[in-house]
Amino acid sequence: MDLGNVAIQLLSGMTVAGYLFMVSAGMTLVFGAMRVINIAHGSFYMYAAFIVAAIVGKGTGASGMFWVALLVAPLIVAAMGTATEVTIMRRIYTKEHLTQLLATFALFYIFADVALQIWGGAFRSVQAAPVLTGQVNVLGRSFPKYNFFVMGVAVVVGVAMWLLLQRTKLGWRIRAAVEDPELLAATGTNVRLLFTTVFTIGALLAGVAGAVVAPLVSVAPGLDAGILVEAFIVAVIGGLGSIAGAAIGAIILGLFQAIGILWVPTWASAFTYIAMILVLAVRPWGLLGTPER
Amino acid sequence: MRRVGLPVALIVVLVVLSYTLPTSRLLVLENVLALALFAVATNLLLGYGGLVSFGQASFYGLGAYVVAASWAHYKTPFWVAFILAPVAGAVLALVVGALALRTRRLYFALLTLAFSQLFFTVAEKWYGFTQGDNGIFGTMIPSKLAEPQAGFLFVLAVTVIAMLILWKVTESPFGLTLRAIRENRERAEALGVNVYWHQLLAFIISGAFCALAGVLFVVHDQAAYPQLLDWTKSGDPVLVSVIGGMYTFLGPAVGALVYQYGHDLIIEYTTHWQLVLGIVLLAIVLFVPDGLAGLFSLAGWRRAGARVRSILRRQAEVG
Repeated sequence: MDLGNVAIQLLSGMTVAGYLFMVSAGMTLVFGAMRVINIAHGSFYMYAAFIVAAIVGKGTGASGMFWVALLVAPLIVAAMGTATEVTIMRRIYTKEHLTQLLATFALFYIFADVALQIWGGAFRSVQAAPVLTGQVNVLGRSFPKYNFFVMGVAVVVGVAMWLLLQRTKLGWRIRAAVEDPELLAATGTNVRLLFTTVFTIGALLAGVAGAVVAPLVSVAPGLDAGILVEAFIVAVIGGLGSIAGAAIGAIILGLFQAIGILWVPTWASAFTYIAMILVLAVRPWGLLGTPER
Repeated sequence: MRRVGLPVALIVVLVVLSYTLPTSRLLVLENVLALALFAVATNLLLGYGGLVSFGQASFYGLGAYVVAASWAHYKTPFWVAFILAPVAGAVLALVVGALALRTRRLYFALLTLAFSQLFFTVAEKWYGFTQGDNGIFGTMIPSKLAEPQAGFLFVLAVTVIAMLILWKVTESPFGLTLRAIRENRERAEALGVNVYWHQLLAFIISGAFCALAGVLFVVHDQAAYPQLLDWTKSGDPVLVSVIGGMYTFLGPAVGALVYQYGHDLIIEYTTHWQLVLGIVLLAIVLFVPDGLAGLFSLAGWRRAGARVRSILRRQAEVG
């Protein structure tokens, strides 16, 4: 097997791991604090990609706009997250998980329809800033420069999340909420506001991933459903509620996809699901998760 | 036998309709029947077992593919495939259930979803056998069943018999134990019930009947394609069960009827079917968790009213 090809596939796998980590980190964070799986989480990702596509326009070469879009899209999506939490999510935290799944499933449909209304069903491609386009040489093969940017953003986001959770008062509160929300409320923390904040951060993470991924994919309806399942899988492999687990899960998934492409290209996408089934057969609560409370 | 009057009347009405309705209307009704069986079979897990499976499309799609692929490759007679499909559904359910039931609640929902996506990928990529994205089309059912009225009566008969069996299952000691596990798993365990085996058996029965519903789909559509296994397809029976009421036996069937006709009605006026569906679903899960069946009982109305009031009160406190 040719070494260059292996390197390229591994790097591609890690690119996938990069944006999957960001989406799943948001999902797993929300689950950790509020015990809710948000099916509409993929919608935030798709909206960010659409907003970037709308701002950058169809390859007009307005490169400065790309950076603006990269900044604005996640913020708009975060605001959507806040609005969703205040109007819908906070009503379902105490309900059984079927109600939660269906309520967010309903949101998924609503967001999908509204997106179709705003942006239509056509495929859009996004041109990244010139600095980030082009290829670099990896062991005699060319590899898109932009993929390194995606990996870089993922690392930055990962470090930022770690700092936020370990080194700030807000992070301390979020971790406390994961452990015991009632006790936290008794210490005088405004848990309601905290939940809104956590959900907003979750949406923001999906938004960053969606914005960053826009130049790599064709931006079109269906992006939401596709990323959702993969994000689930990453979060579940890592253990729901664990950010570090999401990172490990994303890397495992990226590796499995790379191996899949090198080994049996047609079946590469099946490797994702096999990875999850294997992990959960051994550890039903995920690698870093804790057994059901 | 309690309450046989209404179902019998319903069957008589449906048979009469098969003689009077124009073909296009009849085919819609046939679709409702297939979805109704799919939903009632799924609800054995959902309502009776308290198990949220987001992967029942695996078995539905498998049922459809057993008929279509065995016809395409081996020229298997329809009647053989018809028997084979539920068996295949049960076997696949045994494998999936044995693994998925090791997990609980959300993990179970997500694991069933992962399995269904795996099978979706198989259907999509195994081009030689499934013809991939294109799906399998053709005259895979006997010409007699391809006639609208005969096809409809066949689908009706299969649906009725299947539902009777499922009804018997839910009313059997096994069905009661399943409900006891749903209500209080720990207590059932303490009483010596083997929770895992009960749930696995429920999963197998549900899988077999979901596959049968997939066969009915083929009678309706004469096709099988990967979208039949998509996770949003798995959402359909869960959705209609909740719309119709998952704590009643026929609630999911009512939900299927409302879902199909609601869909047809709404798309006459607007293209925003998903938006309307989302809003209705949201309203149901937030305010009427018992579904339409709950709406028809006075107690359901009272509970919904109380729920709306308590939310408004909370809003007032915040505001």
